[in-house]
Amino acid sequence: MPWTAIDMTSRRAFLAGMLASSLTPIPTWADAGSPAFLSAARLPDGAYVLCGLATNGGMVFQLPLPARGHAAAAHPKRPEVVAFARRPGNFAMVIDCARGAVTTELHAPVGFHFYGHGVFSRDARRLYTTENQYDAARGMIGVWDAANGYKRIGHFESGGIGPHEISRLPETDTLIVANGGIETHPEAGRAKLNLATMAPNLSYISETGEMLEQAALAPDLHQNSIRHIDVNAAGAVAMGMQWQGDMTEVPPLVAVHRRGGAVQLLDAGTELHRDVDGYIGSIAFDPTAEIIAATCPRGGRVLLFDATSGRPRAPVEAIDACGVARHGRGLIVTSGTGAVGALHGTDLTPQSRHNLAFDNHLVRL
Amino acid sequence: MPRMIARHLPRAPRAATLAVAALAAMMMLAARPAPAQETPPPVLSEAEKAARVADVIDAHILPRFAALAETTAHLADVARAHCTAQDTELRAAYDAAFDAWISASHLRFGPTETDTRAFALAFWPDTRGATPRSIAAMIAAEDPAVQSPAAYAEVSIAARGFYAMEALLFDDTLSVAGNADYRCALLQAMSADSAATSAAILAEWQDSYAEEMMTDGPRYRSRTEAVQVLYKVLNEGLEFTADTRLGRPLGSFERPRPTRAEARRSGRSWRHVMLSVASLEDLALRLAGDDAALGDDLTGAFEHALTVGGDLDDPVFAGVIDPTGRLKIEILQQSVQAARAVVRGSLGPRLGVAAGFNALDGD
Repeated sequence: MPWTAIDMTSRRAFLAGMLASSLTPIPTWADAGSPAFLSAARLPDGAYVLCGLATNGGMVFQLPLPARGHAAAAHPKRPEVVAFARRPGNFAMVIDCARGAVTTELHAPVGFHFYGHGVFSRDARRLYTTENQYDAARGMIGVWDAANGYKRIGHFESGGIGPHEISRLPETDTLIVANGGIETHPEAGRAKLNLATMAPNLSYISETGEMLEQAALAPDLHQNSIRHIDVNAAGAVAMGMQWQGDMTEVPPLVAVHRRGGAVQLLDAGTELHRDVDGYIGSIAFDPTAEIIAATCPRGGRVLLFDATSGRPRAPVEAIDACGVARHGRGLIVTSGTGAVGALHGTDLTPQSRHNLAFDNHLVRL
Repeated sequence: MPRMIARHLPRAPRAATLAVAALAAMMMLAARPAPAQETPPPVLSEAEKAARVADVIDAHILPRFAALAETTAHLADVARAHCTAQDTELRAAYDAAFDAWISASHLRFGPTETDTRAFALAFWPDTRGATPRSIAAMIAAEDPAVQSPAAYAEVSIAARGFYAMEALLFDDTLSVAGNADYRCALLQAMSADSAATSAAILAEWQDSYAEEMMTDGPRYRSRTEAVQVLYKVLNEGLEFTADTRLGRPLGSFERPRPTRAEARRSGRSWRHVMLSVASLEDLALRLAGDDAALGDDLTGAFEHALTVGGDLDDPVFAGVIDPTGRLKIEILQQSVQAARAVVRGSLGPRLGVAAGFNALDGD
């Protein structure tokens, strides 16, 4: 399997020694109860699925997807999620997690595609999705009526090009959008069209589309695409970046922002920034909000930072690790190798292994 | 209505599940390293990597940037004496310099990224039409930035480099806009600016970067890192040709975009695909080194793409608008993607480059 190939000879191996245990019986979702997490995945035969995972990493259900998935938005009140196609997909599926069944499909309007992320309003009546109005290269937030069969209500501007992950300040309806800055057009595949002029930002937007605040990196970091975000209970936003500039001069890839303040870059050191190929896959605060974890699939590592001081902690090695989500007193990490691990402090403990490749994001339900 | 039902998963008795889980957990903690499912090819040693990096620098990179510096300097010389858009000597010099750039355009790291030199040579794709807009504004205002190289290096990056010169020389409106003397001065400024940029790239490669790539230090800590960068630009070069050089004019079946073809006004779109694929083949084969079987696989894939391309008689991909012409261009695009698949599937593992699902293709 191509995603297991990595030079590991001199490294402390993550989930070392795990066999590709494809014969391990998997209980059905009914046996295992409700899923605790969702992740898109690719099966060995190339088919794409959405997986429901139990708290111990066991497989609860798998739903076929028509194409590659990316992330999902969990309904705050019902056992329901909306799973999104990967950029530049134009479908999203509403899934009843209790039954493991698709109840509704969302389609991006003509001239729009999804970026793969969305978030519900505080009262769960609205779903907001990051979208590209591609002929105008305009980042948009789509608004859907979650209380009414997910009818499209409208859209407003995201405040930049290439909005990717979207979240919400806790206990408010203030949306937080990572505008990655990279222009793409579905007719040019995933080609990046504006690297010379890209200008990412973090935007705080009211639920009606009013721009409340924008934070940006220094001008010489304009090629550091702000792609993924996580918010803690106090409203601090952790950002994971993807560097589009010269790979021999990679700047910090993680930052924290609090409303009204300046962006604080968290520096793991140039060596590590290069080791991870300038690329953060997902980012999460741990449950105590003391630690920020940033997965680095290209570097086979999870970068860890002290959230308060901003100081780096020792990174953890983890092949193709990408999905990360809070759980219990720590974090759960998923990998393209099919591995699921529990991360407490800097200890990564293997939990389970599946014969598939987990995709970019792990979503906590 | 629930249309899709859960994939039917095998049901296991609960006790058996627990027993298997416990066994699996024990195996996880006990066994290391992971036994390979199939024997992968041996990954190269540092010394073998060093030999390949040295060959790529000496026989691929340096000759290309030397050619770029030489042809852009010649273009600037010619433009001093021949600056009308129709001049054949000027056009020949322009074509030679643009060829040299396309053959080097995948080498986007280090000296090309210093002071955004690559963008100053090649601002494309220009999705907002910034190049024609900037040039029209300069002509209308007779912007005095043309009078000094230092001032020209500060103008909008969209008004610099090969695509800006193309707009000035070949665009029906811009090539006759405003004052002829000013257009001449503008072309001279653009060509001198590109020559200076190209000379700076070559100088940095010769003066320091080639050695830094071969020596453990802050920039490259090992030859493994140097190989990774070369492998990355090979992949990105193939992706750019397939998705952008071919993908942009192809658009969608419902909405083909012939006017988005690269360097369409100068009739160079197809030429760029062929030059880039040939240059990327050279890089791929040098990275494969003396591995004959791998070299054969790569040669087969790249030569197939060049053969498919060679059979295409459509210099600006105008055929994207009719089903037959479009199919041929799609087949060319697929052949470039197939070459990339061989690079990823065979060359990458041999070079020991991480090939995880998320590592390769995340978002």
